[in-house]
Amino acid sequence: MVIFDGISKRYGAHQALDQVSFTLKKGQVLGLLGQNGAGKTTAMNIMTGCLAPTKGRVLIDGHDVLLQPREAKRMIGYLPEAAPLYDEMTVQSYLRFACELKEVEKKHIAGHIRQVAERTGLVEVLGRKIGNLSKGFRQRVGVAQALCGTPDVIILDEPTAGLDPRQASEMRQLILSLRGRHTVIFSSHILSEVQSVCDRVLILHHGKVLCDSGLNELKTRENKLRAVIAGGEQALLAPLRSLTKFSQVEVIRGGEPGTTQVLLTVREEGAERELFTLLSSLQAPLIRLQSQERSLEEIFLQTTAQ
Amino acid sequence: MRAVFKREIQSYFYTPAAYVFMGVFVALASVFFAVGNLLARSSDLTLLISNLGYLWMLLSPVLTMRLIAGERHQKTDQLLFSSPCSLTGMVVGKYLAAAVVLLCTVMITFVYAVIVAFWGTLYVGEVAVSYLGLIMLGLCYLALDLFVSCFAKTQMTAVMLGFGVNLLLWLSDVVAGATTIKAVEDALRFISLYQRFEPFTQGQLGFANVLYNLIFIGMMLFMSVRVLDARRWSEA
Repeated sequence: MVIFDGISKRYGAHQALDQVSFTLKKGQVLGLLGQNGAGKTTAMNIMTGCLAPTKGRVLIDGHDVLLQPREAKRMIGYLPEAAPLYDEMTVQSYLRFACELKEVEKKHIAGHIRQVAERTGLVEVLGRKIGNLSKGFRQRVGVAQALCGTPDVIILDEPTAGLDPRQASEMRQLILSLRGRHTVIFSSHILSEVQSVCDRVLILHHGKVLCDSGLNELKTRENKLRAVIAGGEQALLAPLRSLTKFSQVEVIRGGEPGTTQVLLTVREEGAERELFTLLSSLQAPLIRLQSQERSLEEIFLQTTAQ
Repeated sequence: MRAVFKREIQSYFYTPAAYVFMGVFVALASVFFAVGNLLARSSDLTLLISNLGYLWMLLSPVLTMRLIAGERHQKTDQLLFSSPCSLTGMVVGKYLAAAVVLLCTVMITFVYAVIVAFWGTLYVGEVAVSYLGLIMLGLCYLALDLFVSCFAKTQMTAVMLGFGVNLLLWLSDVVAGATTIKAVEDALRFISLYQRFEPFTQGQLGFANVLYNLIFIGMMLFMSVRVLDARRWSEA
């Protein structure tokens, strides 16, 4: 659905993006992570045609954003970091304008506005001026604008920035409701938010992709298991080290007498099954097994620190 | 283009922008009319229309400042740039909206012609050609100031830049009159918008002058599109 192919962007001497590539399938939700100045907003602006890349190309459902802008942009809904709102307009007239820009057929506009307003919880404020709305409602209007024309790809740049916890939670629910029907790309500084909404994460750092993987894959990567096994260290250590789905086995001293406590670093999926099979064949009962799963925050901090 | 045009028209008339522009223009025009026609007991409107031409120089940037620079400052331009609307459609839509406000403003001044026709003799053909020249001059200034607005980041900068460029263009006439170098004089007179406006105020409808104005407007709009497009490649 979205192909970001070898994109580089240079502002004078500053390299904002450096050979960034990724592909996104229909219905996926991608979280763009990165510190300030990592290149998230630049990447989004290039995706939507607001900026042109120095090198590379962006394809939206096969349409090049630069060469076939009309076809490509018809499929995009974009909420920039600062919602592009006209304070003097009412919500209704603004959404009508957005529908007209997105080339929604005139006869369908009224119904479409109603539908979008219902999805974003704006029905009660349709007649109000945007300039008089609270920050939460303004952000909703921004999202509603991005939904006008039912675009396949929705790009949201820090949609919860500046919202109070309740508004942020409502916004997350809204993004979750888009899952499956739309391909969503959104950036955020709040890692728990990405964790709760996205099924794929891309970490940008100084314009380069540091990490691009599924959320579960990312969390299980270098995931550790803490196991307490009945039996002596001498008898268990060699067979445990022969396991292929673990990359490292560390012994933790000071456990209960007659048991061996180890920290196993998972290399790939199915590691637990391999461990159970081994212990069963050794007739060594497993007393306790705890996952030492890393949070996205830990992964992010570790990745960007590297 | 239609969507942008409609929004701009609404924006002009739902905010004080258009009314302030019209009010200031009509107030100044009324002073000119009162002094030049009513007090002087003259039915010659061409002098009034000639003077009104100078008002465009002062007021046109006020009308165009919001079109590009205002959107850029409020970051609403991202909505337009990420929409299927082309840059040409966007620029032309905005320009036409400003042109409608300008035409409405000129139409208000038709009341002077009615007053003259009622109390004196109105030379309809002469006045009509003068008005055509006034409108074309105004449209040229709008296009020029829209182009200038593409370089500004705030509305205030756009206004100041617009005033500056308009003043320079007007000064080219003054310099043309003062210079002794023929080539420079010819070049300055060629680019001067007032040189093209003058024959209209004398009741002369010249094809070359109409064509010059149309080409000038087309060039300015084309360059505005190019500047906006170039910004996508360079802007941080």
